[in-house]
Amino acid sequence: MNLATLEPGQPLFNLKMVVTADKVRAYLVAVEDDDQIYGEEKLAPPMAVVALVMGMAIRAVNLPAGAVHTGQELEFVAPVRLGSELECGATVSHNSVRGGTRFLVLQITGAIDNQPAMLGRVSIAITGEKEK
Amino acid sequence: MPNAPEILNPVIHHISQAQLAKYADASGDDNPLHLDEEFAATTPYGRTIAHGMLLLAFVSEAMTKAFGRTWLCEGKMKARFRAPVFPGDTVTTTGTLKSTTGTMAMYQIVVRNQDGVDVVTADTTAPIFSF
Repeated sequence: MNLATLEPGQPLFNLKMVVTADKVRAYLVAVEDDDQIYGEEKLAPPMAVVALVMGMAIRAVNLPAGAVHTGQELEFVAPVRLGSELECGATVSHNSVRGGTRFLVLQITGAIDNQPAMLGRVSIAITGEKEK
Repeated sequence: MPNAPEILNPVIHHISQAQLAKYADASGDDNPLHLDEEFAATTPYGRTIAHGMLLLAFVSEAMTKAFGRTWLCEGKMKARFRAPVFPGDTVTTTGTLKSTTGTMAMYQIVVRNQDGVDVVTADTTAPIFSF
């Protein structure tokens, strides 16, 4: 995907993904979080849900190597139970180049049965970009 | 659910390259900046750096320990990445109560490395209940 062509309001993807126990387990191992609450409540950590949606967004945009997150806003609206089918989406919120760095802001969402479970806004900086 | 504590229990993590590989596999974020020493050496960082989202997991971990299910279901976070974290670093996440309303507690969270550098700052909000 050519980052220069991304326009605010442009949807990047809408995909469904099952939040499996295996995915959540792999996430918890990676972040070294052994809190028992996730197993007891059969809930996915909200940051695992964000990470999975962000992974989709990164692949959809095909971010260049070296892109870095500069900020993140997140709101967890509803619990995500293990085995839930998550409706994942991302939309371009902002895209500009200043001083050779592209500033890209994406709105990300995760919903279950058309009800929002997670809302987010991620800011990304990509160096080595040319201004128009 | 307890009332909002003034201070959150610190969460401490030692960052390793193996952990970054595990996080990349689990999240799908396989940016070579986090994984490829050779590539990372060509960037301004000079070496691989931790995923920002990994650091936010530590923020969420601290909030989960204090608020449990209410954080998982209704938490809010606004975070800023201040400095890179490298394999070999040890980061400590702390939180201080900023204010409360009748139903919400607001915290200032800091993730700090072993040199005392703030690598992430975040404002978080969690629901509280009065009994």
